[in-house]
Amino acid sequence: MTSPTLVASESVVVGRSVRMRAVFDFVRVIGSSESTVLVTGESGTGKEVTATLIHQGSRRRHRPFVAVSCALFSETLIESELFGHERGAFTGAIKDRPGRFEMADGGTLFLDDIDDVPLSMQVKLLRVLQNRTIERLGGTRTVPVNVRIIAGSKKDLQQMVAEGKFREDLFYRLNVLPLTLPPLRERIEDIPALIDHFIERYFRRKGEDVPPISEAVKHAFMRYRWPGNVRELENACERIAQICTCGTVRVGCVAASILLHADGPMPDLPTPAPAVAPPTVVDRVAAAPIAAADDTPISLDGRIRELEASLIGWALKVSHGNKSRAAELLQIKRSTLGDRINRCGLGHADAPEHEDRHLASAAIA
Amino acid sequence: MVTKERVESVLSRVRPFMQADGGDIELLGVEGNSASVRLTGVCAGCPSAHMTLYLGVEMALREQMPEFETLRVR
Repeated sequence: MTSPTLVASESVVVGRSVRMRAVFDFVRVIGSSESTVLVTGESGTGKEVTATLIHQGSRRRHRPFVAVSCALFSETLIESELFGHERGAFTGAIKDRPGRFEMADGGTLFLDDIDDVPLSMQVKLLRVLQNRTIERLGGTRTVPVNVRIIAGSKKDLQQMVAEGKFREDLFYRLNVLPLTLPPLRERIEDIPALIDHFIERYFRRKGEDVPPISEAVKHAFMRYRWPGNVRELENACERIAQICTCGTVRVGCVAASILLHADGPMPDLPTPAPAVAPPTVVDRVAAAPIAAADDTPISLDGRIRELEASLIGWALKVSHGNKSRAAELLQIKRSTLGDRINRCGLGHADAPEHEDRHLASAAIA
Repeated sequence: MVTKERVESVLSRVRPFMQADGGDIELLGVEGNSASVRLTGVCAGCPSAHMTLYLGVEMALREQMPEFETLRVR
């Protein structure tokens, strides 16, 4: 851990889902408050990023934002880390050292992993939060501190209170403004925008052009469950940026561990019901990018061509490769169908058992 | 016992995504406790794709069949 950090300029929260909009609205509301915030969310959901957002929106934004993980240090060291120590307080304490509370004076202190603080330490923390004064280890002076506290927890503290693992009085002291961050699997609709964001970040960092991302990759990401949440997705994107060489991000760049476990429900996409029996590939191709519902440009011509290719593929499949019958199904002339097959580059579409594959690739490529 | 069917069942988990991206993973054969596959389509020539698939699929095959030995990507 380092000295007081300015808020990283890259701290942005991406998401337009209902769940994230609720978070942003709440962050805005509590910006002017001085009260303690308790941010609860699974690992990787963005607790620290959210804490920086709250700090940036507050009157303390020009003062330090200090983040400290209460899980990083052994029980005895937490105290010295948070409250500081005087020279000679213990072996190795060769000089005076201010704690995180003092470093954050006037600003915001983010106490992450508060659920990992041992019970014995919780008492001391409670006293500090109540009195707003600290004593350095081995010191006699009582130092007043002016900090706004944001606590982060992976676990439901109320549950921990019920289990006797967290002090009830400290819980109430922290739980003034509770804020819960949703796990990524509960905001699947944000995934395409998150992929775009992180792919762009890591390719720019490498000084390279940002490549397009295939729909198949977005689809796989949306069906994976992301136990590590946004942090895991960010790492997956960083990895892609390091290994992708072909100019388009395709499934070949995605870790097989993601593909192998991308067996979640098909993304719930608002599909305009087509008049004809919908082949699945049409569903996927036509609906997925629209459901991305962000401001990524979509080529109308490109999408129409893709839809055309997949509908032709469906008709050829249903008609077992009989082009006359396929033309009837599509309500176009037999000769027109031939032209369009050629235009879509579906030359091998006559072989029924391979149709799906060729058409799927032509449609999505 | 490493059989074509059991190897296919693992491959079928990644296959839909590869096909949707204009590629495929084809099982060439099973020899003893090992298998050979071939990548086709857009990712076929990509060294990264070989490595990601090789590592991940081989691990998944071992998870399913502890006796599985090597996956050869041709």
